[in-house]
Amino acid sequence: MEKHAYTCPYCSETFDALENLKSHMLQAHKTDPIPRPEGVIRLTVNGEEHSIRVEPEWTLYYVVHDILGLTGVKLFCDRGACGACTVILNGRSVLSCMTLAIECDGMTVETAEGIANKNHPLVENYVKHHCMQCGYCTPGFVVTSKALLDKNPNPSAEEVQQALAGNLCRCGTYPQHTKAVLETAQQLAEQGKEAKK
Amino acid sequence: MKKFAHLNARTLEEAVSFLGSYGGKAEIIAGGTDLLGKMKDEILPNYPEALINIKTITDLDYIEETGQGLRIGALTRLNDIAEHSGIREKYTALAQAAERTASPHIREMGTLSGNICQDIRCWYYRNPNNRFPCLRKGGGRCYAIEGDNRYHSIFGGTVEKGCYAVHPSDMAPALIALNASVKTSKRTIKSDEFFKTAVRKTTVLDRDEIVTEFEFPAPAKGSKSHFIKFAIRKSIDFPIVNCATSIINEAGKVKEARICLNGVYIKPYRAAKAEEDICGKTIDEETADAAAQTIVSEARPMKDNAYMVQIARTLVKRTILACKE
Repeated sequence: MEKHAYTCPYCSETFDALENLKSHMLQAHKTDPIPRPEGVIRLTVNGEEHSIRVEPEWTLYYVVHDILGLTGVKLFCDRGACGACTVILNGRSVLSCMTLAIECDGMTVETAEGIANKNHPLVENYVKHHCMQCGYCTPGFVVTSKALLDKNPNPSAEEVQQALAGNLCRCGTYPQHTKAVLETAQQLAEQGKEAKK
Repeated sequence: MKKFAHLNARTLEEAVSFLGSYGGKAEIIAGGTDLLGKMKDEILPNYPEALINIKTITDLDYIEETGQGLRIGALTRLNDIAEHSGIREKYTALAQAAERTASPHIREMGTLSGNICQDIRCWYYRNPNNRFPCLRKGGGRCYAIEGDNRYHSIFGGTVEKGCYAVHPSDMAPALIALNASVKTSKRTIKSDEFFKTAVRKTTVLDRDEIVTEFEFPAPAKGSKSHFIKFAIRKSIDFPIVNCATSIINEAGKVKEARICLNGVYIKPYRAAKAEEDICGKTIDEETADAAAQTIVSEARPMKDNAYMVQIARTLVKRTILACKE
């Protein structure tokens, strides 16, 4: 192969390795050297990278639940009023039913499955405190609580209630959620202390 | 949802040119929490041909405090405003309004510009599949006049048309009480003059105009502001009545007051008479009550919403008392 095989299409600078050309184009021209077909998004879901072709009208809920098969994300109101479809998108707890998937290119998504796979103590405490009856709203609550603990590792009972205010539970399990989240915060703090020792 | 085209705008100019090229058949999407609900329910006779995403414009999400005041980018999320320590301290009503808007999730998604550009929530207007082709959709009548109007205007409808749907924003009264200006891709508009009711319109913005920034003057010495919202549930509901008040105190007396109610009129309602009434007086239970009483004399409630007059009066009184030095 010729030595200067890779030429930048923007400024005609030449490179001897594809990797160098890629990084040059990202830095100097802020574009992807290998253009992706239209409508394809890259999504990191629970640490796993996906490349998915989406239609403009698909919601993030549809992609995560129906395409990727992560059924912990639930659909109830489909109008942004109940919190059952909550996911953590780039650190913010958002409603996946009111988010267009096509606008999530390059973002990181965390769902209840990801939280459970990490053996987060939140899941154990939700079971211990019986935070569910029918269980349909539970993943939404767990995800919202996880986002709260990421942001505020030591919340007060009132702060927990406020953070969970957008999640509806038709069975009325509200008092239990506060207990579970506060106990998790305590356990995480103790784990953190032990890790420091 | 039905099909539509989706365009990511990289710059403001690009977004404006997209809007122009679709000739009023495209919508801007920021947080999307209002727009997608409207599209899912298909409440409007015209479904947008394209959505133009402005979240891809990088430099519209910021909060900057300077000597002259406060600047907030159009795409700043409500949650970031509610949690900002400088805003909580000096622009209290703004932080309080952001904190009480919608639910925690929606505050993480919704932007300040989206909040003030949101559409009305009248249940006839919002009924799915364009069931009620009302005045605001270019139809012939307002269904709330004869129908259930418990959440409608207590200060009358538009003069020329007769729509009685209230403006639902929580941020709007705070913006007006704090005398903010709205910067757009074309001009700068005073927040008082930003809201306007017409067919498919809640603001004075042209079809190819985009909000870019909010500017707040630095609070004067001795000034205080407060916001209170009354809603059925504390966690998520739209306001039945909300009120933001900003008062400049001088030597124990009110030098200047700006009081704005929302959820009670077709656009945010400046309580001008109450402002006049409280000026030059010392704030106490009696003077605050007297100023709030002027609301009652102006109100013209409909058959189901007279209760809102009492709430409006109480909120005006409480916000004035909270602004006591």
